[in-house]
Amino acid sequence: MIRARGLALERGGRRVLDEIDFELRPGEFVAVLGPNGVGKTTLLRACAGFEVPAEGTIELDGKAVHRLPVARRARHIAMLASDELLADELRVRDVVAIGRFPHRPWWKFSADEEDERAIAAAIAATHIEEYVDRVFTHLSSGEQQRVWIAMALAQGAPLLLLDEPTTHLDVRVAHNVLELLRERTKNGTSVLCVLHDINEAASVADRVLLLGCGRMLALAPPDEVLASSLLDEAYGIAMHRARTDDGRTIVVPAH
Amino acid sequence: MILRRLIPPLAAILAAGAGLAVGGDALPLAQIVHALAHPHARDIAHTILWQLRMPRVLCAALVGAALALAGAQLQGMLRNPLVDPYLIGTSAGAAAAIAVALAFGVALSLLPALGFVGGLAASLLVAALARRGGGIDATRLILAGVAISALLAASVALLSVLARSISFQLTLQAWLVGSLAGRGWNDLRFALPYAVVGALVAIGNIRSLDALRIGDLRARGIGLDIERAQWSILGSATLLTAAAVSLAGMVGFVGLIVPHLARRIVGSDARALLPASAFLGAAMAVAADAIARSVIAPRELPLGIVLAFAGIPIFIIIYLRREHRR
Repeated sequence: MIRARGLALERGGRRVLDEIDFELRPGEFVAVLGPNGVGKTTLLRACAGFEVPAEGTIELDGKAVHRLPVARRARHIAMLASDELLADELRVRDVVAIGRFPHRPWWKFSADEEDERAIAAAIAATHIEEYVDRVFTHLSSGEQQRVWIAMALAQGAPLLLLDEPTTHLDVRVAHNVLELLRERTKNGTSVLCVLHDINEAASVADRVLLLGCGRMLALAPPDEVLASSLLDEAYGIAMHRARTDDGRTIVVPAH
Repeated sequence: MILRRLIPPLAAILAAGAGLAVGGDALPLAQIVHALAHPHARDIAHTILWQLRMPRVLCAALVGAALALAGAQLQGMLRNPLVDPYLIGTSAGAAAAIAVALAFGVALSLLPALGFVGGLAASLLVAALARRGGGIDATRLILAGVAISALLAASVALLSVLARSISFQLTLQAWLVGSLAGRGWNDLRFALPYAVVGALVAIGNIRSLDALRIGDLRARGIGLDIERAQWSILGSATLLTAAAVSLAGMVGFVGLIVPHLARRIVGSDARALLPASAFLGAAMAVAADAIARSVIAPRELPLGIVLAFAGIPIFIIIYLRREHRR
């Protein structure tokens, strides 16, 4: 899958991250945590091949990600960026269908059977059947997020990169979206997902990649990361730990 | 949906029929049909139809289709409904080149070619200023286009003030308001190849335009080479606009309004939107040109003015009222 070695990244000419080493295994859900501005999105963009490493490498199956031809890259990596709003009236089905873009040669303008199958499967997997014919911009944030995930699934890439997919979502909808992603890992899809809510990340991820102070502070199972003082170091604030009834660790900022 | 997709081509056919039927000399329908059916006959109706009206209708169709196609692509690329093909500096560049040529007394027959070159040069300058990294920055493109266009418009105004010659001002004015007066087969022969190349590139842009509907970043995520797509769209829009401007001067509104109307009719899928824009643009320009030729015949109204008076109320009724109802 994807592997970073000695990776250093810059944003606007300034070094934001240094000495990043990690490997994502097939079927693994890794949550990226860290304070604002630490370079979570930059790291995600680098994994998608949008950024050129300042040092080190980031490779997909042994090849530098940013050097892969764009369409080929998109067949392996689906990046769900938070982007500007849609200007025109796209129907939900159209949005999902756009996910088939990297599988379509330039001379083919319409979807073939394989495309249709992938689109139908993505719609079914994200449970958006009831609003496939509605205008995308008329949907709620939670519904829109599902549609984006459906588009990424239609893309058929074994690696999903998501930048804060639960922002603006209420706790139930956020939970549903994460469960949906969690489900995808069962068939071998890997998920690398930037999240803000530490407890949310801990409840869904196999491992947590914690960024702080310009480097990777930890890449470990959630319970280990939440228990360690690295979390306090990363966010620059003291944390209290508590145990839930079902035995999970949760953290809250100390007063 | 299929039926709706037939509206633009039907509108274009109707407009072409009207364009051939009306003009300074009233020709009975039977004579028109006869002249159309016998292109090698040698009577007066034949001459009017084949030497005057047919090239005029085709020129108007080319101008309208090219501007609408350029506008639809630029609006799609920048995801900005206010974008007009003139935004990229083509028309201002053409106007400046023509103003300079007139000031130096260059032969009138050379004006379309000079306008084409001036338009192309200004667009290249705007594109160069809008470059960032390997691609084009949308905000910079709009700012550079507005700035260069304003500078060139000021130069044209300066030349117009300095020249003091009535013929200079009349010729320049015809370019600035947009007109097809006196255009014939030769002008069409000059502009057509550029428009055809622009349209072929536009067909190649259909996939990119579809992907760009979800935003630049997301489009990159699904494997679109954004930089290449942007240059290709800008190249097509520039060729189409320059071809249109070289024929008719600065015909306004078509490039802005027609893509909106086309989107209302067939939706934003580029496979349907681009042909619909082209047909609708052609229909609108041909119909406006027919009105321009016939209202105060034998004199002519400038095409740009007719389009403004006829096109904008249609736009307000169809587009803004629909918005209101939503």
